[in-house]
Amino acid sequence: MNDVPFDQKLLQMLNTIANEGISNAARGFSGMVGRKIEVTNPSLKLVPLLTIPEIVGSPEDDAVGIYLRFEGDMIGQIMMIMPYDKAMELVDLLMGLPQGATQHVGSMERSALGELGNLCGTFFLNSLAKLTSADLRPTPPAVMVDMVGAILDIIVATAGGISEQVLLMQANFMDGPRSVEANFWVIPDMNALQNLLKKNA
Amino acid sequence: MGLGERAVSRNPDDVLVAYGLGSCLGISMVDPVTRVAALLHAVLPGAANGAPHNDSNTNKYVDSGIENLLDAVLKEGANKNRLIVRVIGGANMIIAPGMTNSFDIGTRNMDAARRTFQRLNLKITAEEVGGHTGRTVHVYVAESRVTVRVIGEKERDI
Repeated sequence: MNDVPFDQKLLQMLNTIANEGISNAARGFSGMVGRKIEVTNPSLKLVPLLTIPEIVGSPEDDAVGIYLRFEGDMIGQIMMIMPYDKAMELVDLLMGLPQGATQHVGSMERSALGELGNLCGTFFLNSLAKLTSADLRPTPPAVMVDMVGAILDIIVATAGGISEQVLLMQANFMDGPRSVEANFWVIPDMNALQNLLKKNA
Repeated sequence: MGLGERAVSRNPDDVLVAYGLGSCLGISMVDPVTRVAALLHAVLPGAANGAPHNDSNTNKYVDSGIENLLDAVLKEGANKNRLIVRVIGGANMIIAPGMTNSFDIGTRNMDAARRTFQRLNLKITAEEVGGHTGRTVHVYVAESRVTVRVIGEKERDI
């Protein structure tokens, strides 16, 4: 059950979905904030589940996580996680504030970040749905502020019994010269992957 | 210590640490007389829905991880009757509408730990579990001391 067929072909297909989804999300953002926000250098790779904490930083570091699940013809989860200071930079960027203006993540900031997760997630899902003609419904996003390790436990715990590798999507959000890197993890379930494979066989 | 890892020590210079436990459990065992201390970072409650462990890392699971941990401390010279057992973590990290409790791995991990200790006839001396925050655990081998820290707070003994 652990040998998910993450072959090159599937990865390539997911890359296409990710690219399309992320550029759609960028358009969505720009609409939301009324300025042109670009998303550059999207990339997608497979990483071992147990190495995730090291990618984000030390597991005890403060971080912000945006999490949503999707249901319907396929189920899976999407997690966006960033260091606490990066999250504040991203809030500045989204809300058109000077860099450094945001000093903590309160309810207003949470809601901005939740909206961002929502947009990225739904645009990714729209691309996925279009390509596979699947019916997909995202849940509302949950935003949490905690230690990196604790936030990542959510995906480690739910994916740990299913898959040893997860998809990591990275992209930079840019507003003029300002840029903030964001990481997402997409954890599709086994059936989701098999459906994708079958549809594209 | 990373996910699914376990450490046993009787070296007084050692401090065993599990950082940022969310739904995961940090399970410590210390024998204050022989100064044997151990810590486990368990991820999942056990064999999922009756499926066999299809995985070589049995420390990843609460049930088999606790058994391994007990074997290891006894081998290092701990006495079962003196063991001080602490369980830390098991938080429910997701609070949002539409997220059901079936995803609450933290609670299931705690239940698995309590069941396993009962089966092994061991008492849990202290617990700091549940809630919605991550925790870091330190085990100071020299003093047989265990501490917990949550985000934005100081380390304190349990």
